[in-house]
Amino acid sequence: MDLLHNLHTGFSIALTWVNLFYCSVGVLVGQVIGVLPGIGAPTAIALLLPLTFAINPTSAIIMFAGIYYGVAYGGTITSVLINVPGESSTVMTCIDGYQMALKGRAGAALSIAAIGSWIAGTASVILLMTFAPALARFALRFGPSEYFSLALMAFGLLTVFGGGPPVRIILSTLLGLLIAVIGLDVVSGAPRFAFGIPQLLGGIDFIVVICGIFGVAEVFNSIEEPEETSLVKDKMHLRDLFLTWEEWVASRWAIVRGGVIGFFIGLIPAGGITTASFLAYLAEKRYSKHPERFGTGAIEGVAAPESANNSASISGFAPLLALGIPGSPTTAVMLAGFMMWGIRPGPLLFQTNPEMVWGLISSMYVGNFMLLLMNIFLIPAFVAMLRVPYSCLMGFIVIFASIGAFSVNNNLFDVWMMLGFGLLGYVMKKLEYPIVPLVLAMVLGRLAENSLRQALMISGGSLAIFFTRPFSLMFVIAAILAYLSPLIRWALRGRHRVDVTMT
Amino acid sequence: MWVANFIAAVIALVLGLAVIIFSFQLAYMSEYGPGPAFLPRWIGIGITACALVILAQVLRKNRKAEEFFKPGTRLGVKILIEIIITFLFFPVLGFSIALGIFTGVAMRTMGKHRWISCGLTAAVTAVSVHFLFGHYLDIPLPTGMIGF
Repeated sequence: MDLLHNLHTGFSIALTWVNLFYCSVGVLVGQVIGVLPGIGAPTAIALLLPLTFAINPTSAIIMFAGIYYGVAYGGTITSVLINVPGESSTVMTCIDGYQMALKGRAGAALSIAAIGSWIAGTASVILLMTFAPALARFALRFGPSEYFSLALMAFGLLTVFGGGPPVRIILSTLLGLLIAVIGLDVVSGAPRFAFGIPQLLGGIDFIVVICGIFGVAEVFNSIEEPEETSLVKDKMHLRDLFLTWEEWVASRWAIVRGGVIGFFIGLIPAGGITTASFLAYLAEKRYSKHPERFGTGAIEGVAAPESANNSASISGFAPLLALGIPGSPTTAVMLAGFMMWGIRPGPLLFQTNPEMVWGLISSMYVGNFMLLLMNIFLIPAFVAMLRVPYSCLMGFIVIFASIGAFSVNNNLFDVWMMLGFGLLGYVMKKLEYPIVPLVLAMVLGRLAENSLRQALMISGGSLAIFFTRPFSLMFVIAAILAYLSPLIRWALRGRHRVDVTMT
Repeated sequence: MWVANFIAAVIALVLGLAVIIFSFQLAYMSEYGPGPAFLPRWIGIGITACALVILAQVLRKNRKAEEFFKPGTRLGVKILIEIIITFLFFPVLGFSIALGIFTGVAMRTMGKHRWISCGLTAAVTAVSVHFLFGHYLDIPLPTGMIGF
């Protein structure tokens, strides 16, 4: 009954003209960003944060959520038509989607991506609706030791899902933590790594780092290595978007499996939508009776990853809303947005701001439906956007990044710092140091440090507090296993190799 | 790329050691529990350890022919210089005009667009930035010497 009441409240907020407007702006911007190269969801949201100063926070978060799940839809268009993933989460779609396009079935590939995303996304919202409040109630029992262990687990999981050599992921995480500790220490008031620079005493703002490391760094990387694209030239008609019965039969269970995998991967801090689509594709290939069809234009190879990435992008809101722990760079930027608006996500959010939470959740039904319609009727318009020259786009990224950095504290020092982080991001990407761990560690750094210190104050300095409380112990064990996973993988690989040589 | 990786590992090593050294200027433990140096010192130790591992990995690897600088790097450097000049001119020209000019110049540098279209884009951008951010969103953008 509570759920229905909350949903009613949510829809009464999501269906106001203002919120419908921001939801449609969000999904449209998300689609456009997914189509355009060199700009991703975290960058877009970070660059748009200053625009939300004049907007109600509920409308702003509805718009940002729309961007988040809209990006995956948009990225599919480029994956299918030009074999270039607009987003990392649509990489797997390239494999079979582009092959389908070459066979003249681009319309069917785009249709199944939209339909699969819509079905899985809507199912994911229903699960989120029931799961997130339960998680929030559960998290009310958490104290500082649980929060520190949870952050430790999130950092550990980055080693598993971070997408790079483990030692580089750990280094990137530590750099994020180092940036987070700069400024006045909240307990003692001692300045740390400020070197007498007054602008550093307040710490380095997250938005400054994000605008540089995602926005400006992406500009340099895109200028240096422009993507070679070849658009599938066949003109697309509305009738091409219809699926054949065989295609629907082949993809319906792939959508279900992809949706389920996506939902659970999205719940894991640091799990991410890219991992979800990757695992869904692999699972589908393994489950298929004809795995040899994958890579040659199998429609299940489009349906599964597309359903998974949309499902994961929605379930990724559960740890953010219920625990205040972002699971991906995009939700990390949203967390920064919450803080900017003076709202602290976490277990109490469902009690203190129910209108915002349920308005957001309800808007996801609306947004997913809008995306389905847009993907059926506006594909030619999105394809036309692929012709926007990067020379025009780049200037606007720099403008938004500069103003975004400036608007945090209204000082030029932040703008220069943003440029510095842009260069850092450029070099890190070039040398294959993953950026996501740095971003997540920076967001969670203060929470982790404060929780650690509070926990140790409570225990009188004894580390036993992390091992004697059951949930804390559980998170610590998960963290240790995650950190040891590269070693475990290495040992298993070594053993397997020995077995192979012995046989 | 080998040299770049080597330099990056050395920088990380120096950074890690610097963090450890600076952390000694702060209290590691206080009467309430861990002090302000507690986490930074462990971060420094972690960075140093990771840097040493990466350094060892780099030294064990063969030097590959892959270059750090690519043909497009020159263009990237040009744009970087244009960004730096734009930022330097913020106090003189103000945000709107400086960013408008940057957009036009960067378009010309990157896309070889005609001067007229670059100039037009610059003007429209400057006016849009001024009204959208300065007026509609009330962000107090620096106005420069000509007050715009």
